[in-house]
Amino acid sequence: MAAINSKDIVLRAIQVLLLVALYIFLYFPILFITYVSFVDNIIWPFPPEWTLKWYARLLSMSDFHVGLKNSVYIGLCTAVLSTLFATSAVIGLLKYRTRWRGPMILLYISPLFVPGLLIGISTLMFNANVLGMSGKLASAIVANTTEAIAFSFLVILAQLVRYDWRMDEAAMVFGARPAQVFREVTLPTIWPAILGAFLVSFILAFNNLEISFYNLGAIPTLPTIAWGTLRHGIKPELFALASVINLLVFSIIAGLFFLIQTGLVRFGYRGE
Amino acid sequence: MQTSAHALELVEVEKQFGPVRAVDNVSFSVEKGEFFALLGPSGSGKTTLLRIIAGLESAGKGSVHIGGRDVTRKPPYARGIGMVFQDFLLFPHKTVGENISFPLKMKKMPAARQKEQLDWVLELVRMKGFEDRFPNQLSGGQKQRVALARGLVARPDILLLDEPLANLDRELRKEMEVEMRRFQAEIDIPFVYVTHNQEEALTLSNRVAVMKDGRFEQVGDKLELYEAPATAFVASFLGLNNTIVGQVTAQEGGLSTIDWKGIRLPVPTPEGVGVGDSVQYYLRSEKMHIGPLEDTPEGADATRLAARLRDIIFKGQYSDYFVIVENGEEMVISDVPDIKGITIGDQVAVSWLPEDGFAFAAKGDR
Ligand SMILES: Nc1ncnc2c1ncn2[C@@H]1O[C@H](COP(=O)(O)OP(=O)(O)O)[C@@H](O)[C@H]1O
Ligand SMILES: [Mg+2]
Repeated sequence: MAAINSKDIVLRAIQVLLLVALYIFLYFPILFITYVSFVDNIIWPFPPEWTLKWYARLLSMSDFHVGLKNSVYIGLCTAVLSTLFATSAVIGLLKYRTRWRGPMILLYISPLFVPGLLIGISTLMFNANVLGMSGKLASAIVANTTEAIAFSFLVILAQLVRYDWRMDEAAMVFGARPAQVFREVTLPTIWPAILGAFLVSFILAFNNLEISFYNLGAIPTLPTIAWGTLRHGIKPELFALASVINLLVFSIIAGLFFLIQTGLVRFGYRGE
Repeated sequence: MQTSAHALELVEVEKQFGPVRAVDNVSFSVEKGEFFALLGPSGSGKTTLLRIIAGLESAGKGSVHIGGRDVTRKPPYARGIGMVFQDFLLFPHKTVGENISFPLKMKKMPAARQKEQLDWVLELVRMKGFEDRFPNQLSGGQKQRVALARGLVARPDILLLDEPLANLDRELRKEMEVEMRRFQAEIDIPFVYVTHNQEEALTLSNRVAVMKDGRFEQVGDKLELYEAPATAFVASFLGLNNTIVGQVTAQEGGLSTIDWKGIRLPVPTPEGVGVGDSVQYYLRSEKMHIGPLEDTPEGADATRLAARLRDIIFKGQYSDYFVIVENGEEMVISDVPDIKGITIGDQVAVSWLPEDGFAFAAKGDR
């Protein structure tokens, strides 16, 4: 029951200060861009003169619509493919023990160590010269999937090392066939890991510039539009674009958080 | 269909893991309504054997029959068995009700029948009212009951239990032992019960198989095992707590005299043992008596040794007396508590009848 001494108060104050500084460091640039995207006087935006005209201009750019559509398309396809691959890879690796486990894990995550730029260029060369598919969305999806599998693999592996595979055996003893085991027991337990990998892959591919750029040629995505616009100086539409992308990514994560917090989703709960 | 078929029959089953022969030429059968215990130390192959019966492990050799059907090549889901796992392995995302009904759901049983079966089994394991809880909201004992209910609900041809009480504390284990007997008596399903605890095996089962290094050392009625262990291993594993090793110096009638580090003792002659051979002799502590040195022995046939009383541990119905005999070895005797005239440090007399112990030809490996 000692009295609170001044040393404690100072320590506490430093902790709070550090925390606040950290959050400012992390989020101020993002919030600032969002703020600026809503003001007319972008050179010195204080006090603000509110406007929506940058958004109106962004919306009227035809490139933007196509780019948004392409980015979402690439993101979704990449997410589906990499999640499927990574989930099967992790399950296979964990369920069937082999002494090649170490090297196999390394092979799966090695794209993480290759710069995106190199993945972009090399898949372009391979897809164009060997497969004869250049400048296609499919080509960009394949290239993005390469990297996304590595990320998904890590995300899923980190979760599934804790999964008790004897649970599957128990289900099987009680009459479940392999497909039923997966649907009734495995999936309902591991879905958060899979969903996490799906979202990470989506966001990676959605935001990706350097891999997609080489594989797409003239086909626009949101990042390539942003980059293209940048070359002609910073335009306020860019702020609006950044805010839109941030909003999209943020709402995905917020939505997920909400669903989990409120328990509104229970995938696999009650089976069907 | 044969009506006389065994509930479970294993014929010359074998399983090899690399250099380890986890199950070695095991044959046995279990009848309807029987409580069969598989007793053995850790690593003796009990779990592997159970997994072979369940179909979770393939038998390298031999065959498995359940209710007269050959299921050797059948997957687990086609065997019609129930199982209770050591760590319960309840499905964490399903409620108690859903966990228990799982086998029925897999059978695509109509909902009304499922409800009926669920109610029946909840009643049996006394878990009514817990249907909507999740496994993480249950105590260890309750999880155990749910695991049992899930194993029994589909009325399987046989229930396999792998050390189901090993994770419970002592109090709860005693309580569940009683419950387990009750479940088994109320339903007609045979239990195959794996444990490394000899007390549990002897309390619960009708018949016991003692396993060692993948092989059955002895199979039989539990009293038969307890009263007439077939091998030195069975004797030591069933809690025969005094082990005496000595060399035969003379033989007469059915008795051999062995030299136990300077003390000469008569023991029943094991088969095929002659003068000069090594003998292991097991004495159960509760067959021995202790008293003041000056007491006269109760029978002329009794073996009597002088000893110094080192310690007394009170166990309720009886006490364990630890003594040091003249060659410096320790023995333990279970006798009535509070024997007049002896206290720790005293010289005492220890006695037993030679035929109350079990003698075996000593193997090189002990
Ligand atoms: N999957 C496996 N791979 C290799 N060896 C195994 C495997 N399962 C069990 N064993 C070995 O088989 C022997 C018997 O194990 P187990 O059946 O688990 O014994 P228990 O249940 O009696 O403790 C042990 O030596 C164990 O190491
Ligand atoms: Mg075991």
